[in-house]
Amino acid sequence: MAETVTVTQLNTRVRSVLSECRAVNDIWVAGEMSNLKKYPSGHYYFTLKDNSSEIRGVMFKQSRARIDFEPQDNMKVTAFGRVDLYVERGSYQFVVETMQRSGVGDLYLAYDALKRKLESEGLFDSSRKRSLPRYPRVIGVVTSPTGAVIHDIITTSRRRFPADILLYPAQVQGDGAAESIVRGIKALNREKVDVLIVGRGGGSIEDLWAFNEEMVARAIAASEVPVISAVGHETDFTIADLVADVRAPTPTGAAELALRDRTELIKHLDTDMIRLNRSLSNILKRMHYRFGILESKLTPRRAEQKILMHSIRLDELYSRMNSALSDRIETMRRRFIRIDSNMDIHVRTMIGNGKKDLLRYSERLESVNPMRVLDRGYTLMTDAEGKPLTSSRQISAGSEINIILKDGRAEAEVRKVEMRK
Amino acid sequence: MNENKEEMTFEESLKTLEQLVNELENGNLDLDEALERYERAIVLRDRCKKILDECDRKVQKMIETSEGMKKEDFTDD
Repeated sequence: MAETVTVTQLNTRVRSVLSECRAVNDIWVAGEMSNLKKYPSGHYYFTLKDNSSEIRGVMFKQSRARIDFEPQDNMKVTAFGRVDLYVERGSYQFVVETMQRSGVGDLYLAYDALKRKLESEGLFDSSRKRSLPRYPRVIGVVTSPTGAVIHDIITTSRRRFPADILLYPAQVQGDGAAESIVRGIKALNREKVDVLIVGRGGGSIEDLWAFNEEMVARAIAASEVPVISAVGHETDFTIADLVADVRAPTPTGAAELALRDRTELIKHLDTDMIRLNRSLSNILKRMHYRFGILESKLTPRRAEQKILMHSIRLDELYSRMNSALSDRIETMRRRFIRIDSNMDIHVRTMIGNGKKDLLRYSERLESVNPMRVLDRGYTLMTDAEGKPLTSSRQISAGSEINIILKDGRAEAEVRKVEMRK
Repeated sequence: MNENKEEMTFEESLKTLEQLVNELENGNLDLDEALERYERAIVLRDRCKKILDECDRKVQKMIETSEGMKKEDFTDD
């Protein structure tokens, strides 16, 4: 006669049968997660399914420490564990000890294969890396229009060398992301931007996957415009990073690579101005020295001409210096009072000195003007050709000579020559 | 080099400025030449500063329309 048992006894027996059956213990089961519920206790309840069947599953809090990812619905996993029966409900479930994400291994294999292939083609060679333009006018950005990437790039660029930003709003993860990124790279190349930033924020290997796709790698390699990759992750390199001309660890870093520091550039310009002023001042000093030499070489005969020429020249230089420097300083002072106050003082002092020097020179040149002595009753005598006469040996009775007075000249003939002992 | 102020890029302006500074420092220029270079250098310096001080740089995004790609202003909030 058949045995009669209670429901509880039956369920308990089945449970014990299951626990002794090696076929359903310590096995791997592959399926997709759904109906995932995370309880405050730390236990996860979910359903594992494949195309035609499903089984309830549980992962207790203590097992969760064994996995390095956060389970999500629709995630394909391979779970290790055993089948257990829940006596009170007579339902059975799979108790997961640990699990792995399926497909991730495949992704790594694909990554390695593509990396080896492109490497053998020389696409990662340092000789292919182009240098970035020093002062780009337009930066093209291929990324999501809503993420932190474009925000960080815009914010950072405000502190840097000013450039326009042209965004191609791209889909950066999921189906069609690679195609979207490739379209962006091509579109911005046609726009003739000066440099391209291609990137997205950090994420799992699947999230970043578009940046490991061959078509993206090839589009970066084919880009006429240098490319900075900014795929937000510090440690792992995507294929895009390897092909790009420069890899930036973050979007902020990418903007900093693309655009130079504004303050540094202003400092650089100020240094140039100091050098300019110093060398102009040196040239003025040298001019003064040259005037000195010139003065000592002046012969009485050509003095008038020379002095006239030089005084015209001094006037001219004086007015040019005024217009070149004073006006300029005035403009500069108004425009850059804060930055250039020190420099303005320097330049003005220099011009002040220059003016004083020039004045002194014109006085000195004036003092050797031979015409000045004519004021006092002296005359200048020349031979018929205008050559100054400085000795009685140069003339004899009958010589024709010219006498130059303060306000005119006279032609005369020598009657007699007496030489002084 | 074409020194038309509006045509020159920042890089060209800066390069020419550097060249003028070097000429003034190393060259054996007379005052005329020196002043001429100084004036040009100041103009270039002003132009570089003006570019650096520009703050109305455009931020745009590309959009696909039936007539092809277009650009429109992009604001990031």
